[in-house]
Amino acid sequence: MLSSNMSKGQERSQTIPSIAVHGLTGCAGELLVILENLEQLIPYVRVASFPFAQSSNEEDRPVDIAFVEGSVSQPHDLERLLKIRAQARWLVAVGNCAVWGCVQKGGCRNQSTVSLLHETYGEDSPIECLPATPLQDHVRVDVKLSGCPINATQLLAVTASLLRDHLPYITSKPVCLECKLRENACVLIEQNLPCLGPVTAGGCGALCPTYGAACYGCWGPCEQPQMEAMATILEEKGYDMQEVMSRLFAFGAPDELFERVKKNLTAKS
Amino acid sequence: MADEESRKKIEISEICRVEGHSAVHVEIEGDKVTQVKLDVFEGTRFFERLIVGHHQDEIPHITSRVCAICSTGHVIAAIRAVERIAGFTPNATVSLLRELMHLGMIIESNATHIYALALPDFLGFDNVHKFASEHTEEFKAWTSLRNIGALIQTTIGGRPFHPVNLHVGGFSSFPKLESLLQIKSLLQENLQLTIRTCEVLMRFPPRVRRTSEPIFFALIPEGDHYGYFGTKIRATSGFECDVNDYKSYLKEEAVSHSHAKRSSVNGQPIMVGSMARLALFGSLLTGEAKSIYGSSAMSLGDNNTIWNNLAQAIEIVEAFHRAVSIVAELERTADVWNTFDARQHTRVKLDATAGSGCGTVECPRGTLYHYYEIDNKGKVSKADMVTPSAQNTYRIERDIQEVVSQLLPSETDESATNLRANLETLVRAYDPCNTCATHMVSLRIT
Repeated sequence: MLSSNMSKGQERSQTIPSIAVHGLTGCAGELLVILENLEQLIPYVRVASFPFAQSSNEEDRPVDIAFVEGSVSQPHDLERLLKIRAQARWLVAVGNCAVWGCVQKGGCRNQSTVSLLHETYGEDSPIECLPATPLQDHVRVDVKLSGCPINATQLLAVTASLLRDHLPYITSKPVCLECKLRENACVLIEQNLPCLGPVTAGGCGALCPTYGAACYGCWGPCEQPQMEAMATILEEKGYDMQEVMSRLFAFGAPDELFERVKKNLTAKS
Repeated sequence: MADEESRKKIEISEICRVEGHSAVHVEIEGDKVTQVKLDVFEGTRFFERLIVGHHQDEIPHITSRVCAICSTGHVIAAIRAVERIAGFTPNATVSLLRELMHLGMIIESNATHIYALALPDFLGFDNVHKFASEHTEEFKAWTSLRNIGALIQTTIGGRPFHPVNLHVGGFSSFPKLESLLQIKSLLQENLQLTIRTCEVLMRFPPRVRRTSEPIFFALIPEGDHYGYFGTKIRATSGFECDVNDYKSYLKEEAVSHSHAKRSSVNGQPIMVGSMARLALFGSLLTGEAKSIYGSSAMSLGDNNTIWNNLAQAIEIVEAFHRAVSIVAELERTADVWNTFDARQHTRVKLDATAGSGCGTVECPRGTLYHYYEIDNKGKVSKADMVTPSAQNTYRIERDIQEVVSQLLPSETDESATNLRANLETLVRAYDPCNTCATHMVSLRIT
């Protein structure tokens, strides 16, 4: 691993792979999950940079794994991301914001960033902002670990894989699969709750339905999400199309998917 | 050129610990501090806008994402706002479980701030490896306290943050009584740890001091105990008001140097958070929390910002006591709610009620306001959130100004170095959340 590049004075750096943990624009949830699991990581890695958790951080040296939370929402985020990418062997996007753009992407999709800025901060605001976008829109991302927040067990598994030099397999099968394995009663069919489990990536262990609540899509879309069918079911349950669309896309999804569903639904009506 | 030489700047260019990025700029002319700016350059989030159009049932899950560590506070504030608009009052079981959930957040958030973020300044370690390997007792204390807070929130809410089980109208399902009783035992077994946390913090007297008295604001707690929920605000100036009228006293404005809005009351800075709550409602503390507070400098009127760390620790002690009482009360009333059927059918579906209202809670860092206007279809037409950090920003700037002003006349290279560290400690004591906050700072004095 890249640790051979490290200076001689850093004893741990010569023997132990290094990680960096960075936050762009987000809620810091993934930083918190990583902080709370540090005890398990520290025996195996050197924490080269983690500004959220320590005051001594390396800025200009290569690291083996960089975990990046948050979306790119301002020019400053993009500058940092490019720098992080250049220094990292593996770049892991952690959390929905980094993988899909989360609620900022979902909520601001149909509004111009400039008008949002003016309404929030006034028309003469000097603040620079960009529409919220996931990391993969800007740089190569080696591993996409979604979640809101991420699952700590998955985080540790991903780290273990990368430390062994191979890319981890992360499933994005729907929440329904995990729900069936837990033998939950279906809250969509039996309780008519607006459950987005059929189109949402699992990994949470079907948390919401297990508590008797509707999945609200916080891990982003599953593989090949059947959004149009999901929309039709929700419409049949009595939700108006505006609400169906705002629920389906609240937690971020690629623009192509959003446009496709919008187009199909418009054509249908 | 004498003027040029007497002009100085202090810049903390990147303060970035706890959820976000911020910087401090201080301008000095002669021995006068002419300007202090706390620049929060976290990317803009637009939550007040992106919630518009969503159904009232969706609000808590979306606003939760403002901030992970106080997500429980954002969820409960949003729920309280919608329920207030609908004129709905939850039953006793729901209220108690929400309060217990909130205490879980207070314990986890305060413990993480005290041990992982504030203590490095006092114990002198600069990376997490040293924390885990050289300060094992503190590291273990942090882990134990934080895990208890996380366990409470996971048991009731489904996960340690961004809870899935708390909704407008109640819970999807109630936890099992046995799980709550396990929490009660853990709280009782670890009470000494909370007291030791206070003792650790009392060992370090503040190294800097603000010179003016802050005006404290906090919610008047509902019920007859120290608490975090309320609908009326009180200030140390004697001012009281229903939070629905928050716009009449709390002025929030965008400032050109920051992405965070800045709040003031009558043009003056205010302070919210643990210290403010103790100053206003310390008389409601019980047991060890009461005696520790009574023996602290704060109870004698020393309102030095740095004591906010201790105030957070005292709140953990009280939270342990209160949480035990809540579980005892839930145990007493278990026959009402702890049947299989009752635990599954707890949520009341609220009809859409057009109207507006404000839901408030005391988050770890201070009063959090969620204001919504809801239309007759139950959709959000307008939203406004005022976070504790926005309310504290002006006061942080005032503190920095006062501390730098005192030290200027005797400034040497050594005092400049100390000033660097001390300003960080000062800002950090506010435990600034989701946008500001401090740790990795490169401070430049030119």
